[in-house]
Amino acid sequence: MKQRALWSVLLAAGLAVAGCGSAARTESPSGGGSPQKQKLVVWDWKSGEPAAAAYVEKAKADFAQRHPDVTVEFVAQPFDQYYTLLGTAIQSNKGPDVMLFNGGGQIRDRVNALVPLDPYVTEDKSRLAGWDAFGKDGKTYAVPVTLQGHPIYYNKTLYEKAGLDPAKPPKTWDEFVGDCATIKKATGAACFALGNKEGFGIQFFMSGLGSGILTPQEYDDWIAGKRDWTSPHVKRIFELWKEANDKGLNNEGANSTAMFNDIFRVFETNKATHIIGLMSDVGHWKDFAEFLPPDKIGVMPAPVVTGGATPSLPYDGGIGYAVAKWTRDPKLAADLVRSLTSTDALTAFYAKAGAIASDTTIDVSQAGPAVAAIVPEIKTGKPALHVALSSKTLDLMGRLSQQLLSGSATVDKAVRQLADSDRTS
Amino acid sequence: MPIGSSSPRVRPARSGQADAATMKQRGHRGGVHATARPTSRGARAERLAPYVLVAPAVLIIVGLRLWPLVLGVDFSFTGDGELNGTPVGASNYLELLGDPLFRTSLGNVGLLVLLLPIAVAIPGLLATFIYLRVPGHRVYRSVYFFPAVLSPVIVGAIFNLMLGFDGPVNAVLGAIGAGPVDWLGDPGIAMFTVVGVHVWATFGMALVVFLAGFSTLDASLLDAARVDGASLGRTIWHVIIPSLTRTIQFVFVTTMIGMLTSMFGLLFVMTGGGPEGSTYLPEYYIWHQQGQMNRPALASAASTVLFVVMLVVGLLQISVLRRAGRQD
Repeated sequence: MKQRALWSVLLAAGLAVAGCGSAARTESPSGGGSPQKQKLVVWDWKSGEPAAAAYVEKAKADFAQRHPDVTVEFVAQPFDQYYTLLGTAIQSNKGPDVMLFNGGGQIRDRVNALVPLDPYVTEDKSRLAGWDAFGKDGKTYAVPVTLQGHPIYYNKTLYEKAGLDPAKPPKTWDEFVGDCATIKKATGAACFALGNKEGFGIQFFMSGLGSGILTPQEYDDWIAGKRDWTSPHVKRIFELWKEANDKGLNNEGANSTAMFNDIFRVFETNKATHIIGLMSDVGHWKDFAEFLPPDKIGVMPAPVVTGGATPSLPYDGGIGYAVAKWTRDPKLAADLVRSLTSTDALTAFYAKAGAIASDTTIDVSQAGPAVAAIVPEIKTGKPALHVALSSKTLDLMGRLSQQLLSGSATVDKAVRQLADSDRTS
Repeated sequence: MPIGSSSPRVRPARSGQADAATMKQRGHRGGVHATARPTSRGARAERLAPYVLVAPAVLIIVGLRLWPLVLGVDFSFTGDGELNGTPVGASNYLELLGDPLFRTSLGNVGLLVLLLPIAVAIPGLLATFIYLRVPGHRVYRSVYFFPAVLSPVIVGAIFNLMLGFDGPVNAVLGAIGAGPVDWLGDPGIAMFTVVGVHVWATFGMALVVFLAGFSTLDASLLDAARVDGASLGRTIWHVIIPSLTRTIQFVFVTTMIGMLTSMFGLLFVMTGGGPEGSTYLPEYYIWHQQGQMNRPALASAASTVLFVVMLVVGLLQISVLRRAGRQD
């Protein structure tokens, strides 16, 4: 019993000593000593999916060829909790050496924990597209694996049923609304499939239609960070969002229909003619083709809303691998990232998982008219408008967009709040 | 806890000495039996025993509960992002105060408290009917309990389908001529929908507690009421409710705890805090800030506020339970 008392005292002292120090350490622990067999840990939410197996296999093989003495472990995390888990890892300065990120806000908010990769990836710069989404202040923090963008898909069968020519989709907003009315009359299908339960609908809308609303100059300024929220064209985006709903272009119950993945079912079941979808992962050409005949899925450029606007494909780097700053050998980890973005690996990813890969040299001629319409646009495409915004502003925009649909906020109020949020973040 | 008498503060110091002394003695004497020790030392050991016995529990509470709590509160006074680790004073708390989303989430806690009587009355009434042996009461007893064994995620998914804008509930409403209701898309309705589903999913537990309470009810009182010709309403009001005061209070407290602590799963699955942020609760806000917005320090501040709120609610509940205990 006495000894136990001693142990208790020792334990208490140990706890007290271990507990000292500030809650969040900012210095990075440097790993000492030379390990016999090095190991790299990769965190992502993809490698567990059967569709990504071939991709992981190819990337591993490529890396093993160059570094036979290094083992690589893939840890597939659930996507729902991914950034929560990553946040904990970053807070403790301990975790994976290489990790997967979504482009845009998710990685920009966390660049403090990452190694700039520019010195390691100069050779890949021209082969791969979508770098902008993984950069901040002129530095690159991740290498793009897929491209993510927001093409406007349309259902050619519904166009045919309404007596319209599916090969000639409407070019201006007025034509678009007119065609929608014709289709609605003939088939009962809504114009847009819109799911805004999570507040993502507005992001797709803004980026999918933005290039038809902003002038090219305004567009480029927006991406460059000079966002003029007082511009009538910026306001027009939100007016159009509200107007489309008030005119009955959207399916009913948009605020309670989830973007992932209920709304894609609405499009797939011929209940809506158009959907602003994705290029990779879900809600894209390959997904839709499981329900609709692949040759009946079209992709159209954004209808022109304001004169002088030139529609372009909005896309960015979708997902990409980054290197943590606490890794022992950044060069080695960067090498693994290069293997994960090799042409072989990315070809497997494109073919199996249904993604537009970042590698512009991949041959996509076999994949049907939708992909054939998307890929040539990559050259002239521009970064999506919403990706330039911080995650805080996007979160606010999601809530405001729901208020606009329900009528509990005005466009002016919404734009003012967004401008404030954009300025402070 | 039997700590002994007068001066507890000096005892730990002395106990250390006593320990050291005993160790020394043992070292010298080798395998000599403890019974050979002087009686004063035995008495000291006796006084020491309680401390040693509670030490593991205290250490676990201090090390795994209180210390992390202190760390969390400490962390809430530091910054996020580039300010990670630097003290920023109360700015996180000020930000919370100015954030309409956080105010909504606290307001929703208030709403839950207001809805509490309904959440207690439903299982109470149903238990009364079962107790009064309405036809089929055996079936109802198990049917009512059934949802309590489902996980919130499953319940949420089921009701997502049921309450979707083009779902079966609206189809039925449409068939009888009532307009469709946007159960999960209308900010004025969504919170009530989620609370309703939560009550549906959890009232089975409270029902069982009520039934247990009924088993202690004096049946002669009910018979007397019946003989006197009391109506059902009067029987409930004048006989059943007064006899079940303790049970009702207990159910109030447990239902309150359930509502404040286990709505996250349902919210996550059913509304994701929307529409328009109308179904946020502090828990969900904390998760959102930490996991989605990458603001762990702000989330800590929100956690601290939630902790204080729960502390107040908990103390109120304890005092309610105490008063109930005294009445008997």
